[in-house]
Amino acid sequence: MGNSSSLMLRDEEIEEIMSETEFNRNQIVRLYSRFLSLDKKGQGFLSRDDFLNVPELAVNPLGDRIVDAFFTLASSNGDNEEQQLNFRQFVRILAHFQPISRVKKNALNSRKDKLLFAFKMYDLNKNDYITREEFKVILNSMVGANITSDQLDKIADRTIEEADADRDGKISFDEFCRAMEKTDIEEKMSIRFLN
Amino acid sequence: MLGIEHLLFVLTTFAFPPVALTVLLCIILATFGKSLGLRQMYVDTLINIFEWGARQIKTTEKIRRKESALTAPFFLNKLSEEADDDEDEIRSMETPHFEATDGITDDEIEARSETESHDSGEDFPSVDSDFGDESCLKRKFGSTTSLASVGSCCSLRNRKMSESSTLGIIKRETQIYLDDNFSEDIPDEVFVRSRGWAAIRDSVDFVKAGMEAIIEDEVTSRFEAEQLVSWNMLTRTSIKFYQFVNWKLSALWILGFMFRYCVMLPLRFTVFCIGLVFLISSTALIGLVPIGNWKKALNHKCMLICYRILSRSLTAVVYFHDEHYKAQAQGICVANHTSPIDALILSIDNVYALIGQKHEGLLGIVQRALSRASSHIWFERSEAKDRLVVAQKLKEHCTNPDKLPILIFPEGTCINNTSVMMFKKGSFEIGTTIYPIAMKYDSRFGDAFWNSSEQSWCGYIMRMMTSWAIICNVWYLPPMTRRDGEDAVDFANRVKKEIANKGGLVDLEWDGGLKRAKVPPKMVAKQQERYANRLSRYTSVSEVVKDEDVDVTSDYLVDKPVSGYNSLEDLPEDVFIDEEEDETIDAHDENENDDPAGESNILPNKPLSDTVSLVKT
Repeated sequence: MGNSSSLMLRDEEIEEIMSETEFNRNQIVRLYSRFLSLDKKGQGFLSRDDFLNVPELAVNPLGDRIVDAFFTLASSNGDNEEQQLNFRQFVRILAHFQPISRVKKNALNSRKDKLLFAFKMYDLNKNDYITREEFKVILNSMVGANITSDQLDKIADRTIEEADADRDGKISFDEFCRAMEKTDIEEKMSIRFLN
Repeated sequence: MLGIEHLLFVLTTFAFPPVALTVLLCIILATFGKSLGLRQMYVDTLINIFEWGARQIKTTEKIRRKESALTAPFFLNKLSEEADDDEDEIRSMETPHFEATDGITDDEIEARSETESHDSGEDFPSVDSDFGDESCLKRKFGSTTSLASVGSCCSLRNRKMSESSTLGIIKRETQIYLDDNFSEDIPDEVFVRSRGWAAIRDSVDFVKAGMEAIIEDEVTSRFEAEQLVSWNMLTRTSIKFYQFVNWKLSALWILGFMFRYCVMLPLRFTVFCIGLVFLISSTALIGLVPIGNWKKALNHKCMLICYRILSRSLTAVVYFHDEHYKAQAQGICVANHTSPIDALILSIDNVYALIGQKHEGLLGIVQRALSRASSHIWFERSEAKDRLVVAQKLKEHCTNPDKLPILIFPEGTCINNTSVMMFKKGSFEIGTTIYPIAMKYDSRFGDAFWNSSEQSWCGYIMRMMTSWAIICNVWYLPPMTRRDGEDAVDFANRVKKEIANKGGLVDLEWDGGLKRAKVPPKMVAKQQERYANRLSRYTSVSEVVKDEDVDVTSDYLVDKPVSGYNSLEDLPEDVFIDEEEDETIDAHDENENDDPAGESNILPNKPLSDTVSLVKT
């Protein structure tokens, strides 16, 4: 069953997580049990494959990219470069998707944080810009072989053109945010966690 | 040494008569298919005990909560309040949400509440069970409101181990559907400022769907033991219960443990061995009888006796409903699959020919024994790939009026009895009558689910024998035949739906094969195709103005006048019809030359709400 004591969630840990996210104790314990069931090998951390073992994610055209953004954000938040995710990092990323509450302010789930997740997903080489090629890669993974490269090119050109305020041929995070201004990101990137 | 021997001797002398008598009684009753109602009494008593236990837990938690409310920091206070009214909490969570986002059109709210009600409908299939008095133990399915007070209290401080909870972490809003219901989510033409940015916005939906799947998904949880809301005095199912509640419960648990291991296990094991020996020897004898009516009748009688004895070794209490639909002549019986004992349970009531993979060990011995008496179809694992061979054998079997009705579990894998997964279409391609059977175990008395990747078959039987009992409801459904023009996949889905409805199970489109295999690229390709289709509906305003319309996939878009259809009803019929037909044919063709797991399902995203918002921009 893999219930070695090292896999237990300690009370201090729960409290630390509670202080940096908006999750309550109950939610953290539940997420932890999910974390353990994702961690099939019982290593105490998650790898890319652990995520992609979830069929519903693997079938998502952007599943791979989502996992990538997950890891990118986790490693940019601090310590590790390697492709492992511990529970702490796991929860921190999920906290980006908490609904924005009017009462409590928290550092992780603002509109900007939510957008950053999407931006990271597009920014394949992690240089903080989305280029035309990068956009093409994402769009391509969304539609597969169903549109021609000609059409893809046209759409990509137009997309970059439209948001590229400083005419440098690529989209920065600011430009990205501006272009998404009218989109209801608060709603679209919030997951309803139960109490 | 001598002392121990002596003690053992005395013990056996005293223990032998009652044990022997019980076993004998059991076997005699089984032979004639009679019951004294002892098992029923046993089950009723257990229910009472469990209810008492649940009440104990509740009261202890209440006391504890009050105590902690006095001393603990604020968050515990808050928690206890939350636990008090889960349902209200969820409601109140939803409402401000709608208010907070302004500028939502009425349509959108309507659409959303519609999908929500649809979701909840899926989440809580009604379970009609034979027990009337289970109010406080009633199992809850799905996620949202199922945090019944007992369960949520316990899980507060409990370290649940590897089971993913069916007790819901989030309320899922975006979900990937695996049905062919195209029309629902293809928006009609939508004007956007730029197609690229519309795609980016849509990608956010994919992200949400993906993140939700990471937190809670429909599929992987079905391959793990189902979680119970209340404790059934077994340490393995439900919430882990290593925590001390009060001495009364602990004493009860110890008593129960002693009873299960020291009384039930030896008795059951004896009965099981006798049943097994009887099965093997009787089939060997029947094998010698020349083929004819005699052999058939003898086989029928012997098999029923064998299975009844074996089922008693697990204290199986099976309720059969609608027996007039029971398969009499040749045909295919399909049932949902939870464990290897499914076949045993069903065979108490009727004799079936079985089909399945060849196994090793004990199960292999049983399989070979069965084959001596009547014809069953066992195939090698490698041969399973070669569907044609199996299909051929199946067809031969079904067309021979002398053969028994054949029992098939078309899911191809064991699922934890909370849902029905995709039915492999093989058995539905043969034109015979299908007799659907729905099975629902009562997991409060022991989890019947066999997690084959974690447990050996013998280990599983051992666990069954040390459980309280195996309670199962079996519903025979009216026979079904393939309609004109219906393909095997549709037919399989129709049968699956019936079974899910009857058994109170969640009807899933996913392939149970994903338990072991990765998602095949074909499924992703389907999803991409679906999105491309959606993208093709976007008409960029600027592009129209500049008259350089980049049409993405379709020819019908070109001659279709650009107009602002706002609902599906406004859309010309033919667009959908053409498309759907193409789609299914495609899917079918692809399946033909592919593995048996063939998914013909298209995975739509759920863009209901954003179509509206896209129109606005």
